[in-house]
Amino acid sequence: MALTIISLIKQVPIPTEMRMGDDGLMDRTKAKSIINIDCQFGLEAGLQLKKQNPGARLIVCSMGPKSFETALRTAVSMGYDEAFLLSDRKLGGSDTYATGLAISTMLKHLGFTKNSKEPFIVLAGRQTSDGDTAHVPSQVAESIGIPQATFVESVKADGNGNVIAKRIIEGGYQMLKLPLPCVISLTPTGIPPRKPSLSGAIKARKLEITTFGIENIGLGTEKIGLNGSPTIVAKVVNIISERPPIVMAEGHNEVALVDSLIINFKKGGNILEKRENVAKKEIERPDFPDKDFRNGASGILTWAEITNGKISRPSIELLTPARNLANQLGNNTRVLTLMIGKNVEQLAHTMIEYGSDEVIYVENEKLEEYLVLPFSSIFAQVIKERNPEIALFAATTSGRELAPRIGMKTNSGVTADCTGLEIGEYIDKKEKLIYKPILESRRPTYGESKLATILGFVCPQISTARAGTFEVPERLEGREGIISVFNPVLDDQDFIVEIQKTIRGEGGLQNLFDADVIISGGRGTLIDNLGLIKDLAEALKSQGINAEWASSRPVVDEGVVDYARQIGQTGKTIRPKVYIAVGVSGAIQHIAGMKESEKIIAIDHNPKAHIFQNADFGIVGEYTDILPELIERVKAGFNFGIEIKKN
Amino acid sequence: MNNNDTIFTDVLIIGGGPAGLATSIHLADLLNKNSRKARILLIEKGREIGSHILSGAVIKPDVFKELLPDVDFSEIPFNVKVTGDRTVLLSEKKSVALPFHLPYMSNDGNYIASLSRICRYLAIKAEEKGVEIYPGFAVDEILYENGKVIGAKTKDTGIDHHGHQLENFQPGTRIEAKITIFAEGTRGSLTKMLIKKFNLTENKNEQVYSLGCKEIWSVPEGNIRAGQIYHTMGYPLDNDEFGGGFIYALQENKVAIGLVVGLDYQDPTFDVHDAFQIWKTNPFVSAILKGGKLLEYGAKTLPEGGYYSIPKLYVDNALIVGDSAGLVSMPALKGIHLAIRSGMLAAKTMIKALSENDSSEKNLQHYETLIKNSHIHKELYAVRNFRQGFNKGLIIGGLHFGTQLITGGAGFFGRLKSHADSQTTLKLSELKKKPFKERFKGKLEIDKILTFDKVTNVFYSGVYHDEQQVVHLHINNPENYKILNVEQYGAPEQFYCSSEVYELHLNKSGQKEIRIHAENCMHCKTCDIKSPGEGITWVVPNGGNGPDFQNM
Repeated sequence: MALTIISLIKQVPIPTEMRMGDDGLMDRTKAKSIINIDCQFGLEAGLQLKKQNPGARLIVCSMGPKSFETALRTAVSMGYDEAFLLSDRKLGGSDTYATGLAISTMLKHLGFTKNSKEPFIVLAGRQTSDGDTAHVPSQVAESIGIPQATFVESVKADGNGNVIAKRIIEGGYQMLKLPLPCVISLTPTGIPPRKPSLSGAIKARKLEITTFGIENIGLGTEKIGLNGSPTIVAKVVNIISERPPIVMAEGHNEVALVDSLIINFKKGGNILEKRENVAKKEIERPDFPDKDFRNGASGILTWAEITNGKISRPSIELLTPARNLANQLGNNTRVLTLMIGKNVEQLAHTMIEYGSDEVIYVENEKLEEYLVLPFSSIFAQVIKERNPEIALFAATTSGRELAPRIGMKTNSGVTADCTGLEIGEYIDKKEKLIYKPILESRRPTYGESKLATILGFVCPQISTARAGTFEVPERLEGREGIISVFNPVLDDQDFIVEIQKTIRGEGGLQNLFDADVIISGGRGTLIDNLGLIKDLAEALKSQGINAEWASSRPVVDEGVVDYARQIGQTGKTIRPKVYIAVGVSGAIQHIAGMKESEKIIAIDHNPKAHIFQNADFGIVGEYTDILPELIERVKAGFNFGIEIKKN
Repeated sequence: MNNNDTIFTDVLIIGGGPAGLATSIHLADLLNKNSRKARILLIEKGREIGSHILSGAVIKPDVFKELLPDVDFSEIPFNVKVTGDRTVLLSEKKSVALPFHLPYMSNDGNYIASLSRICRYLAIKAEEKGVEIYPGFAVDEILYENGKVIGAKTKDTGIDHHGHQLENFQPGTRIEAKITIFAEGTRGSLTKMLIKKFNLTENKNEQVYSLGCKEIWSVPEGNIRAGQIYHTMGYPLDNDEFGGGFIYALQENKVAIGLVVGLDYQDPTFDVHDAFQIWKTNPFVSAILKGGKLLEYGAKTLPEGGYYSIPKLYVDNALIVGDSAGLVSMPALKGIHLAIRSGMLAAKTMIKALSENDSSEKNLQHYETLIKNSHIHKELYAVRNFRQGFNKGLIIGGLHFGTQLITGGAGFFGRLKSHADSQTTLKLSELKKKPFKERFKGKLEIDKILTFDKVTNVFYSGVYHDEQQVVHLHINNPENYKILNVEQYGAPEQFYCSSEVYELHLNKSGQKEIRIHAENCMHCKTCDIKSPGEGITWVVPNGGNGPDFQNM
């Protein structure tokens, strides 16, 4: 039985390559396209599997316009054998649900179904840079009806027809054993994609790419395209940076550079030019009749994620928007929380105190650790029974794969990683109706440069909410609510994925939330295992400043630093007065955890590092030169403008 | 993906510049005319065709009519016809337009163009004719069998800084070819190996080079009329520094400007990039740029040794064309038409060799005969002593050139010798005149409006290099390099490098250390040429790396 390795890829514009046009606006048309970075890691994972299975057939698939052939040919030049493109104008405007449906229909058409005799594995990127949803892999898996693992860093065959995947989770990782067929989505932290070979490029040039229209694969128009998608993008507005342009230190050695930094810091940095607010035109609300599309669905369902036997902080944060939405909806709309695990009944009351009206719990020894198959099945059963209008998940690594898998079961779209959730209305000029009430999910997109408002028209309307965005609600001790047990129907198929190992650090280190100055070391500071980072923190502390040190994810992954000190999307979100990033490249995940800091200082040897675009002050140089100098200045009294509290 | 990944072709052309593309186009045409079939493979290290192409450029168009006889001339993307042409003598604050043209410098009937764009156009034509073009691939090894060239191999990728294979290692592809054309442009890294292996410069003058730094600007309407060109002499160059500036006005209020300086200068602290920035502050130049903004920056060397520096251009199964062959006519500063012509002659040579199934050195010698009977020879022989005459400065050079004009190029001294640029730099202790920085003290303030530092300029070149690879600038003998280059010459690479690759780091205790920022490299090759004692070897980095010139 020959293994087939299928990679799903998307072609995206390179955001950093978009140049300023003559008119001063970003010129998108000149931006070159590349294979989405995460997808490139998926491609490489496929080539690594091929090393283990030399007889494997490597195929690459994409969905999009004809121009995506370029990306497919690049994949072939890296070592893939065949390429398929699903290209049809009728697919234009498809949301992630419709995309997942269309791609899985193509795969089924190619003979890759749940009951295929030949083993296959579908590899994908975790998420795309122009969508950032991370939905499609889950939706494809659910639609084909096969297991999945997302946020995977590496995948290997175990020689017995299974694959072993290392899945990244908050605070660590999990080793999962999955049977074939399955879907795996790759994070851009594994093995970097290889360069094309010339012989591959020659093969790619001559290759016939099989292109399908929707009728070729037997896909109807009901559930695809702009009209068939359960969600729409209602509005996109620019996110205006609240951080003025960086001031770089100048000088030819560390003494001059640090001098320059201190002068710049004392001057206070650049000031953001405030733009005049253009008076908004009042849009006249047409006199259309209201339409309540909920068909009796009512209530807001949330998921209480349990890690290390505790309710995770983002799940508690989630009760803030849930309560807010319930209030906006009125009519005694209730907040329901589903809790799944082992010995969870005792935790139920905590959620009531934080604001749930009812906690539904599922008690099962086998569900102590989260598993997407049984969890999504349980959610589907609860949703069927309770018929909520909205379902909310924290956008953790689990929430972001669970929500789209559930959405596929309920035919709902999902909005990923939201930072705003409100009840609003939608004026449909075509049908002359006003959809009301409707969930407006707001999420940053295009590398955090735009804020999109997404609406869903199928209940439950599902969204995931970014951790650290909403505050933990006030806990009212003794608050009353209903606690009920739910007995789901599960079978062996729900447990075919085995967790071999879970490595998860403890949260802790609360001082990071209170520190005035945080010095954070990235991959670039591994040279001395963050020795100088710690020295600078110590120097500040000995001056009476509340300072703490931290790190970015790669350093934690290396095992050099505990998870408790990790800043970023899968770590802590902090907002100190001064954040000093040293040797941190500035991946978007890291920025998410520190961008609310009052002043940000970036030190890195690479002048093009992304971190400099998110900082107030910068030094380009080797940290091994700069930090000793900076430490001396701190010892001599430089305190980053922090008032020193003498205890 | 085995390690013996080999492909076969009749002709392999290394380099997608005007010479390589002309070779491929003309060979495809000749094959077609003779009803023959042969595979022509052209590979280019730039991300795309044109990404690594930089020239002034004022082009003599006639040769394009010969190369593309079936094409409507107006289809070729020249930018604009030269409508006005002046040579201007600059001093620090003043300028005087010369009332006449210097010999060989008339540009009547010539066109201003972006060579990068022209190459992209030629690539389309070549592909239409069946040439297979693969940009984004670098070759770093010549393949030999029984001591004869049999092709080249693309660079292995997926290698860390120390040269160890990573998990994503991708072995290079062996390309075996009946005939290999070296069309790498100026100071080709494989051509250099080929020349060394077969001692092709025996009894020839050392090749010498100039470095040109170029910017493209968008200026307000009315600053300059499209088609106008100026060449400048004088400021900021001294009498003993060979070179000058150029200003070419393009359509849509774009202007190409640049300063070209001979790398045989002596001052180890001389900085062509900074000299270029200073040049822009002369009122004649700054008036043209006033109110405008920088769009693109680039730099490249050009061979200018001329006739006596041309290496032997053929060995068994291989030919050298274009700038790699040193085919540049110095007084006119033009090499594009010669590159194209040499490519066409290489094609003629190959059609004979392919049909006779004999690509031995003896048969390929035909290439030399063709060149001897061509315009190339006529043009270069007439000015065979031009550049060497200027070794001792502009005044003596002018006298030499004067006598050469009278004597048909010979001058009164016969063949003049040249020295390699790596030998002309003086040690700091030997330098008699004021070092560069003192000479221009207070005259170069980087305002990022008119003048730019190297790092900022580099940003305008679209340069990119993969992080995971061995640093492509090799210090040949680190110990010796430190003593000679850093101590005695004061690390001249920090000055001659056009793109801030070399940084002399001084720590607090005064220790000096050269740090290499390979990611900035513009592929100009100056370090390979100018480093005293040839201390640095420029090795080709991963394919697709380097600048990404759009309109250079």
